[in-house]
Amino acid sequence: MTSMCEATTRVLPGAAVIELAGEVDGSAAAVLTDAYERAVTASADSADLGTIVLDFAAVDYINSTGIALIVSVLARARAERRKVVASGLSAHYREIFDITRLSDFIELFPDLDRAVSQLGTASQSVEGGTR
Amino acid sequence: MTQVARPTPERLDAFTLPSQPGNERLALARVAGTVQGRGLSDARLERLKTAVAEATMNAIEHGNGNRVEIPVEVEVTRSGNDITVSISDQGGEAHPVDGDHEEPDLVKKLDGDQSPRGWGLFLIRNMVDAMDITTDGQRHTIWLTMRTTGAAHDEHV
Repeated sequence: MTSMCEATTRVLPGAAVIELAGEVDGSAAAVLTDAYERAVTASADSADLGTIVLDFAAVDYINSTGIALIVSVLARARAERRKVVASGLSAHYREIFDITRLSDFIELFPDLDRAVSQLGTASQSVEGGTR
Repeated sequence: MTQVARPTPERLDAFTLPSQPGNERLALARVAGTVQGRGLSDARLERLKTAVAEATMNAIEHGNGNRVEIPVEVEVTRSGNDITVSISDQGGEAHPVDGDHEEPDLVKKLDGDQSPRGWGLFLIRNMVDAMDITTDGQRHTIWLTMRTTGAAHDEHV
């Protein structure tokens, strides 16, 4: 199935930003997994990658299968002792993060700038994107 | 005993879709266009859109088994202050989404004790003011109702 989701991974000291665009549904599984892998491998020291920022500012649709993908990313990050934060969610999807309790485990920021500023870091390099 | 007259439902739209994954987006867009400007706030319209998409996805995938030749039927009606969207498939009594499913529990999912999936019906229930499911032979219908005034849910978003 052709994915309508794109992901760009940016690595910062101790963190990585995965900027998502389009639709987060079942077809986004490989895109999200690849983006996470890129974040880990692109980090100078993957053990030092403490935070994954998922930016949803350019996402216009998330369905239940997309929620399941986000749960899988969160489960993997927790198993690897990494924190996940999210930015750019619309009010509707923030509500869905509340209803599903994802917001109990993923700190939400209104936008990417505020999410990154709480990391206290600046962008160092840019990795490729996938679709 | 006082009889309360119930208004006859007014059909606002009715259409069918082939059971092809992704067509839930078509249902979402068409229903949104039909009910826009009929008394739902933007936030409640977004909720209805999510519920319609999830219910249509279930009908396509679980009810009709992704068989494109079997249509999903969608009808939008208004009765008084209620807007109801019905979504029908041919999943019958043994519709997979009607089983005794465990309520999704994020902690269990994160611990690997529950599949990461299984959010569809949970989302639908939490998005609309009322949800009913009926079966008539093979015909399986989910009814999604939103009140246009004095709704029980929200407006907290």
